[in-house]
Amino acid sequence: MLNRLQLTATVEREAELRYTPAGLPVLEMWLKHQSRQREADLERDVACEIQAVLIGKEAPRWSGKLAGQQIAASGFLAQRSLRNPRLVLHIEHVEFVKG
Amino acid sequence: MSNEWRVEVALDVPLPGTFTYLADSPLPAGTRVAVPFGSRRLAGVVLGPGAQEGDADKLKRVDAVLDELPPLPSDWLELVRFVAGYYHAPIGQVVATALPTALRDAAPVRLADARPWRLSAAGSLAEPPAARAKAQRALWLALVEGPLTREAARALAGQASRLLADWEAAGWLERVDVDWRGAPVAAGPELTAAQADALAQIGAREGFSAWLLFGVTGSGKTEVYLRLIEKTLAEGRQALVLIPEINLTPQLLSRFAARFPATPLAALHSGLSDGERLSAWADAWRGRAGIVIGTRLAVFTPLARLGIVIVDEEHDGSFKQQDGVRYHARDLAVWRAHRAGVPVVLGSATPSLETLYKVESGRYRLLRLAERAHASARLPAVRVLDVRRQKLAEGLSEAAVETLRAAKRRGELSLVFINRRGFSPVIACGDCGWSSGCRHCHAKMVLHLKERRLRCHHCGAIEPVPHACPDCGNVDLSPVGHGTQRIEDALARLVPGARVLRIDRDSTGRKDAWDAIYRRVHGGEVDILVGTQMLAKGHDFPALSRVIVVNADAGLYSADYRATERLFAVLTQVAGRAGRADSPGEVLVQTQWPDHPLFAALIAHDTLGYAKTLLAERGSAALPPITCQAILRADAPDIVDANAFLEAVRDALVPPRGVSVLGPVPALMARLAGRERAQLIVEAPQRAPLHAFLDAWRPDLEAAARRAGRALRWSLDVDPQEL
Repeated sequence: MLNRLQLTATVEREAELRYTPAGLPVLEMWLKHQSRQREADLERDVACEIQAVLIGKEAPRWSGKLAGQQIAASGFLAQRSLRNPRLVLHIEHVEFVKG
Repeated sequence: MSNEWRVEVALDVPLPGTFTYLADSPLPAGTRVAVPFGSRRLAGVVLGPGAQEGDADKLKRVDAVLDELPPLPSDWLELVRFVAGYYHAPIGQVVATALPTALRDAAPVRLADARPWRLSAAGSLAEPPAARAKAQRALWLALVEGPLTREAARALAGQASRLLADWEAAGWLERVDVDWRGAPVAAGPELTAAQADALAQIGAREGFSAWLLFGVTGSGKTEVYLRLIEKTLAEGRQALVLIPEINLTPQLLSRFAARFPATPLAALHSGLSDGERLSAWADAWRGRAGIVIGTRLAVFTPLARLGIVIVDEEHDGSFKQQDGVRYHARDLAVWRAHRAGVPVVLGSATPSLETLYKVESGRYRLLRLAERAHASARLPAVRVLDVRRQKLAEGLSEAAVETLRAAKRRGELSLVFINRRGFSPVIACGDCGWSSGCRHCHAKMVLHLKERRLRCHHCGAIEPVPHACPDCGNVDLSPVGHGTQRIEDALARLVPGARVLRIDRDSTGRKDAWDAIYRRVHGGEVDILVGTQMLAKGHDFPALSRVIVVNADAGLYSADYRATERLFAVLTQVAGRAGRADSPGEVLVQTQWPDHPLFAALIAHDTLGYAKTLLAERGSAALPPITCQAILRADAPDIVDANAFLEAVRDALVPPRGVSVLGPVPALMARLAGRERAQLIVEAPQRAPLHAFLDAWRPDLEAAARRAGRALRWSLDVDPQEL
């Protein structure tokens, strides 16, 4: 099944690094995206916000460095929890975008 | 054969009744013997002459008489007979429970004679050793001065043991029988009026009398015990003191030893080796210990000259044995005092409903110590904080955190009480709803983050913390709820600079742990204690200023009808930690049910009033202690087998009018350690018909158990404390 999102965005806010009970590092962040896209043969403004999370050994390396930065992130989407259907981007790959 | 006698022997085997053996002499009741049983050799105790019917050829002979101790006294034999009858337990099992472990083996024991030596009449006339034998002479001259213990003699001469033995064999030395009459007693504090009145009331009665010494925390109950013991010792009699395991600390023992420095004291607790326990037990029985102080098992200590029985913290659950012979040491203590015709004093700040009911019905007398012993120490102010609409940080309200910060700024010691050890009582997956259930029990596995383990607090199972949800694969599992470890971590963040010390079963497991805790707390190295109900017990920490109760609500609406009684007791005891010294304390209880009557009583320190409310509830629901209860428990790998057994025995005998048998119902913990559990509840308004029914029922239980096979286990619990 396809489930893939690539997004260039600014990291609005970054949570403090936390750990799962088994000791995996978890970095949560809030992304803000703004761009121009084509729709029905016309250019338009697009803006969206989405929560993202980076889990695993990459997380401590990025922790504290992301807030305010522009990143290119890719990963899959999942809902926030059983009861909360809001989407969260689970980041598999991230890099800074030189502005 | 002419010199052949039959004796009745109690053996610790899983069979009811006693066994008849042949002996060369009419062994007196209470003699310990070794007998063949099947292919084994077992220790047993002679209960009396054996049955005369039956063929002597079929009987086996007693192997050996283990008579290094005199036969057990008749009142001890009466006690074990009573226990076997009342708790419907096999007499052999009761005897084995009541004896120290060292006496359960079919082997002779060696008992050191700890009595001191003194010169005999012949010794006083003998020539002292020559001056060149320096050590010998020093030892001899010390004996001329007065009696010497082995320890004192060893300090004088390296070969003291051999010298003492030689001189005793020569008839120059004799043993001094212990007599603590006239032994020095250290001065105690001046008595309060209430303490003096309590002592006067107890002293005014001859023979058996039962007393509830109801004293608020810090009111000086121990001082009353010490004065009662002093009086008993002065009459040359012994005092039996029962104490919950957790309260029987070196500090408490040294308090007794400091008051009675020359009176031999036998302490019986789980920290002793088998040999130490045996010698303490034997000292008590031979009348060589003036004070016998111990946990529930000490109630079985034979005492040659019993003068008083004291049960401290009589409400404590640890007095009830929960497996094997399910006796209640407090109740047996009262029975013993009654038999011996001596007073029994039950002390508590939160008396059990059982005891209060006996006060109400006039069987026990009430003594009150309503004020704290220090004139300046007042009971703490209790405040109930409604947390239903509050935002909590790690389970702590803003008010609680601010209270702790303020106490820290003043340099005062605070306590945060949370009755749950570990980090969080469960971990769960937010994506699919999975949670960490124990595969063996009907319970959740608790997250212990420090060891990165999940542990079941019921069966002891241990697992690594799962890396990902076993159902859906989500790695971001969450700890749900709060335990001591989590509060400890949170406080370090929420109260800047605070030195936090956690006290629970995990942090106090090591043998010297309490020493280190006392050192740190009394040395002023701690700002906040975080702990479980361990902290509710008698530990005397100085100047506790603020107490926060994090989550007390689990006990308010429980399926166990004793839950509110226990919660009230534990909260009163925890609150009692506050304001013991000169500073008035404050207690803050966080709850979602601020209107529960329990809290109103807690604020008013109205223990007796709340007990009356609870007793009325028990009465209208026909529950103990107003009625009498027994539980027949059964467990098996499959609930079907447990239920089949219980249904069979329920239908085997129709109970008489006034006795009802309810069930089978699942146990409160329906599955434990891989076994599924159910029970029948036997109830009666009166004790006698209940016991008559249980007596008649017993053969049916055993027959049904034989038919059910090995997978089924069952037990009968009279006056159960747990459902």
